[in-house]
Amino acid sequence: MRNWLGPLAFGLILAAVSTWAAIGAIPYGLMNVAMERLGQGGINTMSHGNLATPARQPVVRPSPDLAYSSCPYDLSGGPLAIDVTPVPGRYSSLSIFDAATDVIFVRNDVEAQGKPFRIVVARDGQAVPAGAEVVRTTHDRGIALVRLLLKDPKEIGGLNAVRRQSTCATVTKLK
Amino acid sequence: MKSWHRYTITLLGGLAVGLGAAWALTNGGLGDGAIRNGPWTTSLGYGTKATDPLTRAMVARSGLLALPARETIYWMAKTDASGAPLDGNCRYSLSGTPLDARWWSVTVYNDTGYLVDNPAGVWSVNGANVALDAKGAWRVVISPDKPADAAWLPGIKGEPFQLTLRMYNPGAAFRADPAKAALPKIVKEGC
Repeated sequence: MRNWLGPLAFGLILAAVSTWAAIGAIPYGLMNVAMERLGQGGINTMSHGNLATPARQPVVRPSPDLAYSSCPYDLSGGPLAIDVTPVPGRYSSLSIFDAATDVIFVRNDVEAQGKPFRIVVARDGQAVPAGAEVVRTTHDRGIALVRLLLKDPKEIGGLNAVRRQSTCATVTKLK
Repeated sequence: MKSWHRYTITLLGGLAVGLGAAWALTNGGLGDGAIRNGPWTTSLGYGTKATDPLTRAMVARSGLLALPARETIYWMAKTDASGAPLDGNCRYSLSGTPLDARWWSVTVYNDTGYLVDNPAGVWSVNGANVALDAKGAWRVVISPDKPADAAWLPGIKGEPFQLTLRMYNPGAAFRADPAKAALPKIVKEGC
């Protein structure tokens, strides 16, 4: 029995360490899966998804009342510029999530006073255009999400054009 | 048995226990949040840097890309007012008054957090589409089949289900004391 003391202690420590490591890794893993599913239109590009239905649920607990536009991003090639155009008189928001699933920026239509705005997401140390409103992050990857509220799913046709004015792209010019 | 055999056995056992524990610990969903209000539960810590690794992993599993509380409060209910699990074969009255938020909705999900098909193609009610009665209150019926006498929010026939209540831009008074605020009532009327 004494022969098992070392192995058992080893197993217990390993169990504790792997629990802790796995809990830390879960958000990163799930963010990768979400980027994969939302990134069909490409990385650093805004995709304007169809409304959530049982047949289309790229992430858990999608709201059937919201039109989601998503920009899975990767800053390794430079900062990202996100342009958002709110729709007058209804809730919309831009939220930016990092690779750990933390929210690093949120702005809704009221805070934007209903006007279009541009946000530049950049890693610490990356050069950004002068005068830009910058959100700094410690991760390369993540997802920017634009939510637009629909009073009725049928509204999506009429709102599609204004929705498509929200875009994202890697910053290539610093002026 | 050789020493390295014993170490191999406890290595595999330790990893299995560790990963299983991580999965089980993060399985609580949004429902194990810190704030309770009747059958509804939430946490005001979602979507912020302040959340601990365990909460962050739980939110990533059950509500990835959730917004912080200032923007949206997500409430979840897995039971009715009496504490019984929500059953897709039963009929429930869901009722309340307009909520203290810029906009709100209640959505029906299965117990893993996904939408399930139904003949009406309806999965939620919201502040823009519920009818208010003379007293300013609204009521819908969650049931497997369309009720004759009320607005219908389809349940999930033959399965347990969950409700998620979203409140966009909740009022300051609401955020000050969410545990005491008036939330929709979920009352079972029969099975």
